[in-house]
Amino acid sequence: MSLDRSSRGGGIMKMTLSQKIGLVILLILLVFAFGGTWVSPYSLSQQDLNAILQPPSTRHWLGTDQFGRSMLTRMSEAVMLSFSLGLICVITSAIIGVTLGVWAAWGETVDSIMGVLVNILLALPGLVIVLMLAAIAPGSFLVLYLAISLVQWVEYFRVVRAITKNVIHSPARQSTKMMGFGVWYQFKRHIWPSIAPSIFTLAAFGGANAILTMASLGFVYVGIQPPLAELGLMTVELFPYYSEAPWVLAQPLLAIALMVFGFHLLAGKRT
Amino acid sequence: MKTLIFKRLVQLVGVIWGVGTLTFVLMRSLPGDMAYRIAASRYGQDNVDSQAAALVREELQLDQGALSAYKDWLLDLLQFRLGDSLVSGEPVIETVQHMLGHSLLLSFAGLALSIAIAVPIGLLSASKGKMVDSALMGFSSLIRAMPVFVIGVLLLLLFALHWNWFPVAGFGTPAHLVLPALTLGLSLAAVSNRVVRDSAKRVFGSSFYLFSRVKGLSKWTTFKRHGIRNIAVPVVAFLGIQLVSMIEGIVMIESLFSWPGIGHGLAHAIFARDIPVIQGAALVMGILFVFLNTLVDLLCHWIDPRGVAES
Amino acid sequence: MVNFMITLLHITRRLGLLSLLGFLVTYSSWSFSLPNPSNTLSISAAFEFTSLDPSKNGYIYTRMQVVESLFNVDGKGSITQGLANNWQVSSDGKVWTINLREDVLFHDGSVMDSATVLKSLSIAQQKHGALKKSPVEAIKAIDTHTIEITLSRAYNLLPAVLAHYSSAILSSESYDDNGEVLTLSGTGPYQVYTYLPPHKLVVEKFDGYWGKQGSIPYVSYLTGHRAESRVLQARSGQADIVFGLDPASLPSLKRLPNLTVYSNAIPRTIVLKLNSGHPFLKDVKARQALSLAINRAGISNAILRTPGSETDQLMPPSMGDWYLSDVEKTTYQLVKAKEILASLGWEMNRNGVLEKDGEPFEMTLITYADRPELTTVATAIQAQWAELGVSLKVDVTNSSAIPMGHKNGTLEMALIARNYGFIANPLGVVLADFGENGGGDWGAMNWYSQDISADLKRLEQINDTAQYHQLTQKNARVIFDEKPMIPVSYYIQQTAVNKRVKGFYFDPYERSFYLNNMEFIKQ
Repeated sequence: MSLDRSSRGGGIMKMTLSQKIGLVILLILLVFAFGGTWVSPYSLSQQDLNAILQPPSTRHWLGTDQFGRSMLTRMSEAVMLSFSLGLICVITSAIIGVTLGVWAAWGETVDSIMGVLVNILLALPGLVIVLMLAAIAPGSFLVLYLAISLVQWVEYFRVVRAITKNVIHSPARQSTKMMGFGVWYQFKRHIWPSIAPSIFTLAAFGGANAILTMASLGFVYVGIQPPLAELGLMTVELFPYYSEAPWVLAQPLLAIALMVFGFHLLAGKRT
Repeated sequence: MKTLIFKRLVQLVGVIWGVGTLTFVLMRSLPGDMAYRIAASRYGQDNVDSQAAALVREELQLDQGALSAYKDWLLDLLQFRLGDSLVSGEPVIETVQHMLGHSLLLSFAGLALSIAIAVPIGLLSASKGKMVDSALMGFSSLIRAMPVFVIGVLLLLLFALHWNWFPVAGFGTPAHLVLPALTLGLSLAAVSNRVVRDSAKRVFGSSFYLFSRVKGLSKWTTFKRHGIRNIAVPVVAFLGIQLVSMIEGIVMIESLFSWPGIGHGLAHAIFARDIPVIQGAALVMGILFVFLNTLVDLLCHWIDPRGVAES
Repeated sequence: MVNFMITLLHITRRLGLLSLLGFLVTYSSWSFSLPNPSNTLSISAAFEFTSLDPSKNGYIYTRMQVVESLFNVDGKGSITQGLANNWQVSSDGKVWTINLREDVLFHDGSVMDSATVLKSLSIAQQKHGALKKSPVEAIKAIDTHTIEITLSRAYNLLPAVLAHYSSAILSSESYDDNGEVLTLSGTGPYQVYTYLPPHKLVVEKFDGYWGKQGSIPYVSYLTGHRAESRVLQARSGQADIVFGLDPASLPSLKRLPNLTVYSNAIPRTIVLKLNSGHPFLKDVKARQALSLAINRAGISNAILRTPGSETDQLMPPSMGDWYLSDVEKTTYQLVKAKEILASLGWEMNRNGVLEKDGEPFEMTLITYADRPELTTVATAIQAQWAELGVSLKVDVTNSSAIPMGHKNGTLEMALIARNYGFIANPLGVVLADFGENGGGDWGAMNWYSQDISADLKRLEQINDTAQYHQLTQKNARVIFDEKPMIPVSYYIQQTAVNKRVKGFYFDPYERSFYLNNMEFIKQ
């Protein structure tokens, strides 16, 4: 991780152009998610079997799906769902990862215990763990969220631990310590500034990954129950209509790609 | 070198125990009655009823406590016995071997394709002007933003349906491998081409590289002598990092293309609650992962012997 | 000569595949060639196989015509000859004498006789299946090609049970000492060539078949789990025959010049299984109201895309004994349904959900993902009942959750696809579903009528067709009126067949693909 090319700290002003573009894409999607549910008079599950797979019109701005449900409502709900899940996963896994990472860098015993645990977790592909956990409680978002967080914290842990180890051994931190400052001050003064840029980058990628994982679960039919709108599941359900109603299928595909793309741009460069 | 291998060995043992125990605990806590799920997989949806479930329960002694089942399993594992599939009755080791072969084939083909795509593109964007660079990087960012299954679906629509060049799903002939491997290769290449580019840029801009050109070596000779090795180190190290996304990609791709590999088998076994197969598959994945990581370590060491102290 | 060939075949089996190939190349009249697209009919369907055992995955092997049973079933559901030539029943209906065909060879070269049939049937009796549940007292051999089955009571379902895939006849060598199936050596026109569970089965024409020889040298069966990829296989011509097409894909498939799409009604019905003991559903009127609030025509038009498949009866008109021809079709009557529920004391609350004594009308409906239609139909019913004020939680799970929920009493409602032709005589399934103890795993739940139970038992013994018809109609009427189960739609099996295949016939009882009747059109 390069520490000098700080992408955080100065806020939006210090962002590169592509990061700003990423931010704008995500904000537009967020506005769409809020606006869509607010504007649309239809509910998530309201069907009209006489008006299936309609093209966009003044009644249905984004057309209707295979049940005659409003795509505007469903798309905005689905985007909202992905955003919320991504957000809480990122926050949870970052908190766990950073706490344990700093702790492990400081203490030997914790370090070796965590080392074993992380090695085991790393040897199991994340999606497999998520699949198994999602199978335990189908339809439960709590479990989905726990499963994704459980997989994602490891990356924060590894990065934070590595950087913190360096910082702890730096002369600056050691002199601070000798001057008698507390642990919290040392963390705030020395560790946080060096890990913050990396955490920001990881968080942006993590948001993208959470969204991808959820879409993947929807795609293999695990963990999502009707009538909920989820981008991956919508892709599967609408796929058979690709020649009949390509505009409907394109919507969830475009939304996933835009969200992930936005997060990737926001993350900036990964080195 | 020795410590490296020792470290990996310790990791391997930890992984075997940890993965086994984790899957065991997870699977025991799956909702619903195991006997019923196994009966449904065995006898089919039309023929599953409580009588079938009772038969299964009796045959497999599902009534025994979790702890004693765990003990049995651990003892068997020590003797490298993975047991029989609860659904088919076939030995797990055979089932997993069959699946593993297909998965390995897919992953190596995918990896080879990803290298074949990523290296030229990465070098191209590092050596040509800014226009080419941004165009190529922008394109790879777009691909990276798509979930693996979306790439697969798009390839299917294009190559299998529109042009009808390759089969849609299945296995058995080389033609069947093309689309799944290409999907995997593209998704991997979209990330690794950036690593190739960055690494190449670093090397091309370095003083030793410039010096070699200044002293009169041709472009090609310079690249051969000073470029390849130096560019390769971070790229090969990155392959190790990519293994995770590769294995995850395989689960999706195998499901989409009906490729009978370990990811597909695992997803299925989870659905049917075939605990021995789940454990066997997860174990093999874990072992494979550690093994490949070791391989990557050794490869890095071979390319650049200096780096070993750090790892 | 035959004996010589049999010995040779035996030896080659022992020596393994290589020598078998050598033998075939040298001695067979047809030129030997490996399976390739031009000589292989490829079939794609959703159901996977994990075992060679007929009691488990026998439906794959009868459909692929590897194994056969004593009796067959024709398209109308009548029992016809199979490996049995003819049969006689004693006057009390308890002793059945069955004469076997004499010219039947197994794929391993052995000859079918009473002993082999006896062995297969007695092993089938030990395993999960229809034979285990029937009142068979003893099976014995009378001579080399006659067997006698003694029953504890008259049981006219016996031929239908013997026609079931779990009662298929295998050679003696197929089993180990514990009755487990080691190799699958049946009597059908095709024999196993490659067995790669759970995805691929290739069968090869068997030259020693007693009946009509097939013309296509190889047939492959590939499991395609995803409905989408099966459709794509049909489209691209990669599979010649694709079963179980997603209804959504029909309009576009029908436009393709290289395909013929067959839509065949099968005796399978999409039906709601209700827990009639649930406080909300105890009253017949409540069940009737729920039935009225289903827009069946909308579902069959827009979702299943098979207009006219909507139904309010369990069995299709083809099962004349059980089909009521004189009742009026239930139409979608939301207002009437609302009135009925209001008369039962249900009132709409502020959230648009019906409420009685402070309890909202909320229920959980479980269904399973094996059949893609079920989830979409469940989603439609969820929305339609929401307008009625019934809040439905749809839980998509594994098919085993239904017998399990029935057994432990937790099930509230389930949407299922019930196969009434599972045993060729629908009485078999009706007995299981409505027979005793307030229903069956896949049938009624906490709904019991002494009369029906007694009547169904009597039906097992009635041979007079008029009397039989009268009694079945009476019971079908009770089930129709009382609605322990609410039918939604018949199943229309959608199959895409490539134009290069001639002679395709869809068996509504899904017992056989009739591969030996098919041929490739010369191009």
